[in-house]
Amino acid sequence: MNKRGQIAIFVLVAVVIIAVFVWFVIRPRLPPSLGGADVNPSAYMRDCLRAELPPIISKLSTQGGSLAPDNFMTYEGTNVQYLCYTSEDYVPCTVQQPLLTTHVAQEIRREIEPKARSCMDALVARYEQQGYSVESAPRSINVSIVPGSIDVVFTAPLTVSKENAQTFRQFGISQSSELYDLLMTATSIIEFESTLGDSETTYYMQFYPDLKIEKLKKDDDTIYTLTNVVTDDSFRFATRSLVWPQGYGVQS
Amino acid sequence: MRRILLLGFFVLASAIAFASAATNFSATVCCEKTQTGAFCQNVPSEVCASDARQTPTACESTSYCKPGTCYDSNEGTCLDNTPQIVCNANGGIWSSERPAQCELGCCMLGDQAAFVSLVRCKKLSGFLGLKTNYDPSIGNELACIAQVQLQDKGACIYEFEFQKTCTFTTRAECEGSSKSSNGSIQDGVFYKDKLCSAEELGTICGPSRKTMCIPGKDEVYWLDTCGNPANIYDASRWNDKDYWTNVKDKDASCSPLSGNADSKSCGNCNYLLGSFCRSASFTQTRASYGDFICADLNCVDESGKARKHGESWCLSDERRKLPGENSVGSRFFKRICVNGDVITEPCEDFRAEECVEDSIETTYGPFAQAACRVNRWQDCLAQTDRRDCENTDRRDCFWKEGVTLGNTTIDATCLPKNSPGLNFWSGEDSKVVCGVGNKVCVVKFEKDLFGNEKCKDNCECLEPGWESKYGEVCAALGDCGAKLNYEGKRGFKEGIQVKINGKIRETS
Repeated sequence: MNKRGQIAIFVLVAVVIIAVFVWFVIRPRLPPSLGGADVNPSAYMRDCLRAELPPIISKLSTQGGSLAPDNFMTYEGTNVQYLCYTSEDYVPCTVQQPLLTTHVAQEIRREIEPKARSCMDALVARYEQQGYSVESAPRSINVSIVPGSIDVVFTAPLTVSKENAQTFRQFGISQSSELYDLLMTATSIIEFESTLGDSETTYYMQFYPDLKIEKLKKDDDTIYTLTNVVTDDSFRFATRSLVWPQGYGVQS
Repeated sequence: MRRILLLGFFVLASAIAFASAATNFSATVCCEKTQTGAFCQNVPSEVCASDARQTPTACESTSYCKPGTCYDSNEGTCLDNTPQIVCNANGGIWSSERPAQCELGCCMLGDQAAFVSLVRCKKLSGFLGLKTNYDPSIGNELACIAQVQLQDKGACIYEFEFQKTCTFTTRAECEGSSKSSNGSIQDGVFYKDKLCSAEELGTICGPSRKTMCIPGKDEVYWLDTCGNPANIYDASRWNDKDYWTNVKDKDASCSPLSGNADSKSCGNCNYLLGSFCRSASFTQTRASYGDFICADLNCVDESGKARKHGESWCLSDERRKLPGENSVGSRFFKRICVNGDVITEPCEDFRAEECVEDSIETTYGPFAQAACRVNRWQDCLAQTDRRDCENTDRRDCFWKEGVTLGNTTIDATCLPKNSPGLNFWSGEDSKVVCGVGNKVCVVKFEKDLFGNEKCKDNCECLEPGWESKYGEVCAALGDCGAKLNYEGKRGFKEGIQVKINGKIRETS
């Protein structure tokens, strides 16, 4: 073999090595394959929805658990929902949002459901493009906030068939989050606020070493920011309770 | 022949201000939902949303906004003071009296306990994969915790996939309990105070160089090869066979009297001393073995003083610390040491709250605790007796001798110790308040035959200290008179006026 031939072989080997290397580096970022037998609907749905969840949770966490707060105060440019509120002076607040965990789960569900449906529609379309016959049943989505995570389960029975038939029932994504504990603590603070008109934040530190509570009184409002110091998950909400008007309370 | 000198001391006020404070209030109703979205508020009718119910009575008296207990059947929790409509609209079960489902009992969750309702106990047990162990006869939280601490703990030996394996757990969990994760503990044999790594038990578990934090525990623990916790991490006893065989108390572990914060070799953390098991990534220090360490949670305050985790203390931006001499805009703050950070909690603005602080003696030394408390100055001016004025159980006032306000004959006045802040830049409220400090003194002179005048009555009003004395009274009433703000800056106006025979005296 002449010198030119050797160089050509070396170049060819180098190109193959680089191609293999590049394939391994970028492969995890590629969308899951939908081609033929490699189709993995669970992975497709997970990847399609995974990026949706964090911004929703982040928004809910800074807005008192509501995506579109109605009764709110504005803090650092963000509308923060009052979870306990009174328009009067000298009286404790009235609870505005009981069953907070359920409410936040519903808010996540409401926001993520359209996206989940469009992901599913895209999945079905891709299957059909590849000549599969697809049968799907009515879909539903369930969001549960539990200690340590937020789980989204999309129930969408799906049967795909070409030569063989495959049936899928549920697709789920889970994000680790300490939001559950923060919401339970928020509920406890609301109970103190509605009963006594105030809360003692150091009380919670005895029992929850990972919890940091920041309480800021601004005008007549109190803004609570609960943070898990280990995971940095946080939840912020507002209250207006037992307000002492300035001065002698003389109304003008 | 007599001459009368009218000496007036006026603070931001005039009689007109009193008249202007008269206000028209419209009747309030119990509004189901206001235009801003707040539920069950006693507000003027026009504030109520157009499609919301409203009744001309207090919300407590209505059927739809009556407060009661809202029961969450999913979580098993109860929330008091919740209006009926708010509870029902969110899927809760409302009742005017606390329902039986809200009765609390002792829920045992392995070696931990929670004083909760039965449904909540089932929920928590489910989260942890444990069988529900609930005792409603235990009536308080302390007894509940004590009940759990009495439980025997040790090695639970059982066969799993043809191997003799082990779980470190309680006797109750071991004997007759089931293990999740596709298998069950069949006929578990319990060895009290033994560790799974004990050679004599002959299990597949042995010592490892890994460590772990256990939920609900302060310390760093050794981890065996089966993933069970062993004794408290002590680098010097890694090769100690006894330390990997028998359960050792906290007191029998390394440096039990210290918090061992940032120690490389000892994981005997103590939350009360300001250390707690955390991942080593939280600190600059790496442990000799494993990835966990006793993190230092204590702080240093603004004056350089060491503070323990959980300690709280007071701070104020007040320039002068004398009673009744608060600066305009000053405020009290509570500071707390939390997880190595000092966080600031402002008390209510306008000095509606003040910060109180005390220290308790603990076995580990003094521990400061502070709280924002309502500033009880409202009835100071009504006190005419020194003992009533200085009764700290009832109010926050001080007794000032030699000054008289109003028509009283007592030569002293009871004033707020921390004068309330006023919204003096808008409205007429502050004129009303500060006007209380107005003082008119009628000084009578007598002229003799040669035309010389001699003061006869109220001559003290001519003394140099009289004006400043009443200036202090004004300052104590609120943000009145000539004051500095919390930054030490003087106001744009004089704050006080002295009139002699109706003419304003020029100030230098």
